Amino acid sequence: MEKNVQRICLTSNPGPAYFLQVDWKKDLGNGFNVTLCDGSSAWTGQVPEDDISKEASDMEMDRQKYVDELKKALVLNVPTTNKYNYDLVEDPVDCYSFTYEKKLRDLSFKLGSLRLTKSQNPAEIIREVIIYCLNSMAKLHSQNDHLQKENGRLQSDWKDMHEQLETFVNAKEELEQDLYTKFTHVLNEKKVKIRSLKEKLEHNDQK
Amino acid sequence: LTTIDKQSSMFEDVEFCVMSGTNEHSKTDLETKIASCGGIVVQNPGQDTYCVIAGSINVRVKNIISSDKHDVVGATWLLECFNNKTFTPWQPQHMIHMSPSTKEHFASEYDLHGDSYITDTNENELKDMFNRMPNMKEKVPLDMIAELEHRYSWDNSSNIFRRCVVYVDYFATVNNPDTKIDTSSLRITALQLRFHGARVTSNLHEGLSHVVVDDLTHLEEIKSVRRTFEKKFKIVSKSWVTDSLNMKEIKEEHRYLL
Repeated sequence: MEKNVQRICLTSNPGPAYFLQVDWKKDLGNGFNVTLCDGSSAWTGQVPEDDISKEASDMEMDRQKYVDELKKALVLNVPTTNKYNYDLVEDPVDCYSFTYEKKLRDLSFKLGSLRLTKSQNPAEIIREVIIYCLNSMAKLHSQNDHLQKENGRLQSDWKDMHEQLETFVNAKEELEQDLYTKFTHVLNEKKVKIRSLKEKLEHNDQK
Repeated sequence: LTTIDKQSSMFEDVEFCVMSGTNEHSKTDLETKIASCGGIVVQNPGQDTYCVIAGSINVRVKNIISSDKHDVVGATWLLECFNNKTFTPWQPQHMIHMSPSTKEHFASEYDLHGDSYITDTNENELKDMFNRMPNMKEKVPLDMIAELEHRYSWDNSSNIFRRCVVYVDYFATVNNPDTKIDTSSLRITALQLRFHGARVTSNLHEGLSHVVVDDLTHLEEIKSVRRTFEKKFKIVSKSWVTDSLNMKEIKEEHRYLL
């Protein structure tokens, strides 16, 4: 069971913030439940799988693409929230219609709508929403803790490795220089000898 | 000394004077062994003494050395003779001090460091000799290493960056060595460069051949410094280093210029 809560504004009542909770099994395309609340009242409704397929074909959209659009509109907390319009209108008495649209420059097109019924027990629903939020916050906290520890560990490992590498490179440079120094000394000794033998040879030739 | 079993006669009638022993072999121990090989042991070196043996250098040994009349040979030589059961010829590494005549003899055979003029050397001998050589205070400059490698065509192996003098851009402020960015991956690049022969410097200066950068934050600043330089360095991306290492040769810079 997956769940997400986000804050939305209604076009017909832009003042107060509404909370939109969507929950689904595995994939949004399998159908989902919608819960809307404003802090005192709550409305609930469902979108069955068949409706999703139907909406998609009505709109002549590939089903997967349509589901992706639904995800963007209902689940993902898109930072630029202005891309979608939501509205809740009392249809006949005690029946509400919830619509969601995607804004495209000047016009907007309807992604879907569903019927919501007003809950008799809104406090219970609000409690659930708050519990969900607290739980996910706790989860994120512990994940953050874990990642921070992991990061600290990686950083200190990196530092250790860097230090080791540095000592290796220093040792290599030192060793190399030492060997070359000794090598040149010995090589030059040989050259001194060759020079002296050469001089001797020239000296003998002159005689 | 009469009770000693004679084991060999390699030192028959050779006179030794043992001044000191080693940690493993005491003076008397060495003397006994000499005698068992037919040698003669005296307490003070004289005209007929072949050489003075010293396991460690003490005041008496120092006096002998300063008198410059006798050859002072390390106990290791003696032990080598015992081990090989032959009268091993002296080699430079055995000699603690040489009398003038021995010195002359050695000078015709060996160089100052004990490497023979005539016989080929091998890895072990060379290693021993290098180890005996005192640590030279004056190291050969890096330029000379580059030259040597070039002369003997060793310059296309692992030290591909030998001729490069590189500034690596891992400082938060350009040209300020105190502002190292600790976990910058360019620090590894700098070590890679050094490991493969480059000289890495922490400031932009005349004579640089390359500047290696990862992102472009300091590019303009580095370029403006370059304008003041007579000899222009090349600004290349990090991949110039990694690609060169992968190919085991310096890649043409032009594809990596920034």
